[in-house]
Amino acid sequence: MTSFRAAAAGLALLLAAACTAPTPPRSQASAAAGTACARPSGPLGAETATTIDVIEQAYFCILDRYYSGATLDARSLLTSGFIALTQELNRNGRDVPEATMPALTGDRKADWTAFEAAYRKITDQVPELRDKLAVVTLEAVVSALGDNHAQWMRDVKPPPDSYDGDGYGLGLQVNVTGLQADGGPGVALPPLFVTAVQGGAAQAAGLRPGDIIESINGSAPFVEGKATPAIAALYPQYPEARPVRLRLLRQATGHRWTATLKPGLYPQDPAALQVVRSELLEDDIAYVRLRGFPSDAAKRVFNAITRLRTGRTLSGVVLDLRGNGGGSPSEATRLVSAFVHGQATGYQCAVDGTCETMRTDDTVELLNLPLVVLINSDCPSACEHFSSAVKDLRLGRLVGTRTAGAIPGPAQSYLLANNTLLRFPTTRHLGPNREVIDRIGVPPDHHVPLTPEDAAAGRDPALAKALTLLHK
Amino acid sequence: MRQLLAVAAGLAVLAASACTAPTPPRPAGVAATPTGPVTLPAPTGDHPVGTTVLYLKDASRPDPWNLDADARELKVTLWYPTGQRDGQRAPYMTPKESELLLKGSRITGVPYDTLSKTRTHAVEDAEPTGRRLPLVVLSPGFTKPVSTLTSLAEDLASRGYVVAGIDHPYENYATTLPGGRVAECIACDSDGDPGFGMGVVQGRAADVSFLLDRLPSEWDGSDRIDRSRIAMAGQSIGGASTLAAMVKDPRVRAGIDMDGTTYARIPKSGLTRPFMFIGSPQHVPGGRDISWDRDWKLLTGWKRWVVLTGANHQSSTDLPLLGSVLGITLPYGALSGARSAELTRTYVAAFLDQNLKSQRQPLLEGPSSRYPEVRFCPVACGRS
Repeated sequence: MTSFRAAAAGLALLLAAACTAPTPPRSQASAAAGTACARPSGPLGAETATTIDVIEQAYFCILDRYYSGATLDARSLLTSGFIALTQELNRNGRDVPEATMPALTGDRKADWTAFEAAYRKITDQVPELRDKLAVVTLEAVVSALGDNHAQWMRDVKPPPDSYDGDGYGLGLQVNVTGLQADGGPGVALPPLFVTAVQGGAAQAAGLRPGDIIESINGSAPFVEGKATPAIAALYPQYPEARPVRLRLLRQATGHRWTATLKPGLYPQDPAALQVVRSELLEDDIAYVRLRGFPSDAAKRVFNAITRLRTGRTLSGVVLDLRGNGGGSPSEATRLVSAFVHGQATGYQCAVDGTCETMRTDDTVELLNLPLVVLINSDCPSACEHFSSAVKDLRLGRLVGTRTAGAIPGPAQSYLLANNTLLRFPTTRHLGPNREVIDRIGVPPDHHVPLTPEDAAAGRDPALAKALTLLHK
Repeated sequence: MRQLLAVAAGLAVLAASACTAPTPPRPAGVAATPTGPVTLPAPTGDHPVGTTVLYLKDASRPDPWNLDADARELKVTLWYPTGQRDGQRAPYMTPKESELLLKGSRITGVPYDTLSKTRTHAVEDAEPTGRRLPLVVLSPGFTKPVSTLTSLAEDLASRGYVVAGIDHPYENYATTLPGGRVAECIACDSDGDPGFGMGVVQGRAADVSFLLDRLPSEWDGSDRIDRSRIAMAGQSIGGASTLAAMVKDPRVRAGIDMDGTTYARIPKSGLTRPFMFIGSPQHVPGGRDISWDRDWKLLTGWKRWVVLTGANHQSSTDLPLLGSVLGITLPYGALSGARSAELTRTYVAAFLDQNLKSQRQPLLEGPSSRYPEVRFCPVACGRS
């Protein structure tokens, strides 16, 4: 899937528009009195430069609205921002004698004033770096939250020669997700291998599923069993276009070779991009693959199952959520509601511990069919909300590998003065047993990992296990 | 992204769908009082107009949307010159189609059969006349039946063109098929999926090729068509489909895209056949939609890119004409329904007369004092 920088995993599906429509001028969002930022209303206007005033707005917006904004130590945000600022100065060979961190007291407003004064003094001496410094500082303030769903989203124009449905990158998928490669919570296991070839450079170079990647730009993907940052080079984001050199091993033949792949746009089959795909397996099992939770996801799954059920008796449903990018929590709840009524699918909790219950929608008709859900490390957010409900409420069996562990809480968008968006959760997501899922993930009931041999042979052992369970 | 919810103002209400787009800024409009049925503007050409409907079935491929349909059905409405002035005028659409279109577009407050009362000019099943007539295929916007292009279709027929308007079933709110079956918008379920637009235009290109294959055997009047002179035009994703059909099928000699974001891949070697973009002010070079800029470089034949001041996404359809009966007020500064229709008819006909009839059209050479709304891009139209 096309995944430009602005559309991070989990949001990509919701944001990817079928048609890139020109967006007209936006009517001004009215900021509620006393708050630093408001929800956007209508399409965004053209992005303008990021200034210290925008950073200030973001800082107070986080303190006002972020899940733990009321209790977090605001100095951590400013320190993170200042570190990034000084690093960027050095990176550009323009260090400034006065670039020292001001003393912070813990008083949020006074600390901001001190930070802003220091910031202005520094940036005034390097006017040519002004924009760049503002961007890295704001990015660092947001990343200080250490929250997978907290991000600052800028208006990144797609590549000028891109088409709807194009992918960008090397054209391959591997068994380590972008989140894991980026230091995420999930554990990646060696060896690193190709799970799918989608097109582009990987296809042109003749790579195949099952090929083992022994090195990336000369670095090992794993050292002493632990994934290294080298893997992140497999996930270039536009406009990054540096070629990536891979050393590869095809186990079946023992062939070893080196391929240099240049990131770029590549076409994808529109049918393969459909959010919902379904087919009948073994004459009586409805297989439905769901790639995300957009606003009508549950309805589309129900329609698919109803269609496969017409004129026959089904013995079960396999819901394939591997590679599901997440999306709407209410759609996850609605999907759960086809398997149970009168239950909590999860909780949204404030920092003071008060929680709102996410209840099943009991107007949804029960399917009354046995369920197996296929999961893996590429199942974040709403995908984990659904999976945890299936597990805790005993609605079916989970088969595959542990989910991503990227479900802090549903992200809300706030508009900043330069027409960029700040997104972060205002509540924490807990599972039906009030357990934390974020960073931990949901473990499968049946651990069935994919091996390079499976990938090379086109086998899907998790699906095979699911069919066995449903026919038992 | 889904834009099915009616946007408050003006004609944006009907600008529903994936592939539309530009939601205009909210105007300070005054609600209009719904009035009686609308009569479409009279065709401006010399000939009376006849119309008839064909139903085609392509058994070589399954329907791309209805997984239970193992053949692709098409409904084709033909408009053509006739010698017959009198007779029953064709219905604009059925009451059921009107209902489904209004409901789908979230238009409330008017009777659901309102659009079916619209008065047309074409005589139902009249005998065609003329010879060596050029053919124009029309493809409508997503969620819209092709009847929303009737004003343009009747005008072209009166000027001596055979017009074949395609209803691509399951891609609009209502297409009536043989036996009274009504195909509703199954494609609307997936219009937010990545690659959706690409899939639609590939399917429509196949629809067009099938129509061109079958028209000679399916319509008695088809010996009046000069099969070396075929063009296509469409609105929104119908315009995008025009480009897709031209890339795939060399029989389509020329094409017009009316405000549609495009999806088809033009080969790197370029497309040499004549093409014209007609856009609303959102579709200027360097705008948010990159697709016209991208394609412009690959159009290597005769080409034009015009943008109409005061136009919106629906300006080339009948919807601005129908606004009064739907209780929709045009935003301040917007083109009136009559003016939208006049501009669309004039520039589409000029393009076709030049490229299918080899009649040079000064209108297409640059700005005209009679049509000051028309700006010629990319040179003479900055971002607005």
